[in-house]
Amino acid sequence: MDRNREIARLLAEQPRRGMTRRDLLRRVGLSAGAASLTAVLVACGIKKEDTADSGEKNTLTTDEEVGNLNFANWPLYIDRVQGRRPTLDDFTKETGITVNYKEVIDDNESFFGTIQEPLSGGQPIEWDMIVVTDWMIAKMVRLGYLEELDPSLIPNFTANAGQIYKDPSYDPGNKHSVPWQSGITGIAYNPELTGRDLTSFDDLFDPAFEGKVGMFKEMRDTFSLTLLSMGIEPLDATEDDVVAAQTKLIQQRDDGIVRNYYGNEYADALVRGDIWATIAWSGDVFQLQFDKPELQFIVPDTGGILWVDNMAIPEGAAAPIDAMKFMDFVYDPEIAAQITAWVNYICPVPAAQEILASAEDNYTRTVAESPLVFPTPEMEANLHSYKDLDEEEEQLWNDLFGEIIQG
Amino acid sequence: MATEGRKKLAPYLLTLPGVAFLVVFFAIPMATVFSVSFQEGSLSKGFTFTGHYQNYTETLARYDTQLIRSLLVGLIVTILTLVISYPMMYWIAFRGGRRKNIYLLLILLPFFTPFLIRTLMWKTIFADEGILLGALKDIGLLPESYQVLATATAVVAGMTYNFLPFMALPLYVSLEKMDPRLLDAAADLYSSRRQAFLKVTLPLSLPGVFAGSLLTFIPAVGDPIDPELLGGVNTTMIGQVVQREMLTNNAYPRGSAISFMLMAAILIGVFLYARALGTEEMTG
Repeated sequence: MDRNREIARLLAEQPRRGMTRRDLLRRVGLSAGAASLTAVLVACGIKKEDTADSGEKNTLTTDEEVGNLNFANWPLYIDRVQGRRPTLDDFTKETGITVNYKEVIDDNESFFGTIQEPLSGGQPIEWDMIVVTDWMIAKMVRLGYLEELDPSLIPNFTANAGQIYKDPSYDPGNKHSVPWQSGITGIAYNPELTGRDLTSFDDLFDPAFEGKVGMFKEMRDTFSLTLLSMGIEPLDATEDDVVAAQTKLIQQRDDGIVRNYYGNEYADALVRGDIWATIAWSGDVFQLQFDKPELQFIVPDTGGILWVDNMAIPEGAAAPIDAMKFMDFVYDPEIAAQITAWVNYICPVPAAQEILASAEDNYTRTVAESPLVFPTPEMEANLHSYKDLDEEEEQLWNDLFGEIIQG
Repeated sequence: MATEGRKKLAPYLLTLPGVAFLVVFFAIPMATVFSVSFQEGSLSKGFTFTGHYQNYTETLARYDTQLIRSLLVGLIVTILTLVISYPMMYWIAFRGGRRKNIYLLLILLPFFTPFLIRTLMWKTIFADEGILLGALKDIGLLPESYQVLATATAVVAGMTYNFLPFMALPLYVSLEKMDPRLLDAAADLYSSRRQAFLKVTLPLSLPGVFAGSLLTFIPAVGDPIDPELLGGVNTTMIGQVVQREMLTNNAYPRGSAISFMLMAAILIGVFLYARALGTEEMTG
């Protein structure tokens, strides 16, 4: 447990480090466009006759271990101690497989833009394993861009994954993906400013908070929570439902209740007091509470969203077996605890909680005790998923949403 | 003769690097984007050229408010930077004496910090309960609900601040190179100071005004960053629209079409402006 102490010490020094993952991106998001601009130019004028048929049975490129794993992940999404990444080192020590780990994913759409071109042409990409959000998994499965996993190589997942992570709606039977980390989209508020406790999503429509409410620029988060507040399960939402949700959100905007539609900068606005209540991500609020303990995070009584970032193997990857060994490795509770102690998102391995709770330092115990890292069963019972939108739906939803946030 | 031939070729060879640069980094991308603006499709199905001109009509109908708003904001920002920097540069050019360069440096100094940092600092300074507004609210000079951030005013103010040097420097150059004896001559010929300004200084500084206006107006209209950081509800500008269509929606044809419409709008504006000022002043 020496290593854990080391991690904890570093964490105590820089308690807010973990929050920067999504943060980082969206702040540089303006320039991060450069990557996807390449994708734009590449995509130009290139005609695709047909997309891969997802009905076809996948065959892996190899059923042997290759000895090297090319792993694409998001920034600050794995434990890091003094320039090393303990989890990756441990994996290499145990299996002899080296990991070429790159933090190249800044958001789902633009990353997809960079890999879509070769995948659609049946060409392999440079990554053996990628981490993308649930709805992107569904989209890639639909397009036939992901290899099928072999459950017999990932026994730790079957044994140790939390129940809500098994057989998810976006990838039935975990055929193509297993979760990396996840988080909740709910509501954060500062009770000192709101003057009362919030319980439901409709509290964000209270005229008493005029000009002090933050909403998200994320289409899926904002629409899903709104649909839930209208009693509609996002998975079943029809076009009419989304139009109704749009009407509700435009009303809220025109009533002057919304201060702004935020990306990651909502966290700063909340801390500064520019907004009193806002849609929020659990992992961010967990970090913010170290500086501002009065901040509260709730899953609205009408329901919150559990988003799950998943590991998956792109079609034609050179080292699929190595990738599945890695998936199995991180479902070892000790390893899962090691990652969670550092990244502070929701851990898909419930057994990690006990391991963290027995740590000697306060910070790690705080992680173990927080419902924002290990949600309570009541919270879990009230969590829903994003709808897997096909391309037409996605454009429609995006257009409807654009009319709200880009007035 | 070989040397003769080389002499004839020399000017073309000299322009070659510049031309090559323009072709690779301007002409080809522009042609590509233009072609994309007539394509149809989606990211996963691929985009095909179908001459789909509806990319233009549909996006214009959808985003006309944002386009007009952007042109208007660009215009306001240009006028504001001109009004603010003209007297400032006039004073430095004519009254600055030996310390001209120091004054100029003082004006430019803030702009040595990155654009993004400066704009983000505004968010700290003008936070609702921040050091400035918080204090003014505490002593009762401002109502509790007063806010600067997330308003159109903040966007215009932030852009005026950020674009100031683009207006100020060309103005300074044109004012500085003016021969002060022309003003003496005007005085000798019994013109008042006001007349001298209107008949001598102002016309001679017009090339600077023109250059400064272009350098300010054109990037200001398409700027996505200031409105993103300082704006709020209903302050969306066309640069943000392009950004969202390109990077979030992956709707490259629509984004390209908007870009070209924006370019057309700016070209028309600049053309009218050049006509109004007279083409002679345009080239100085």
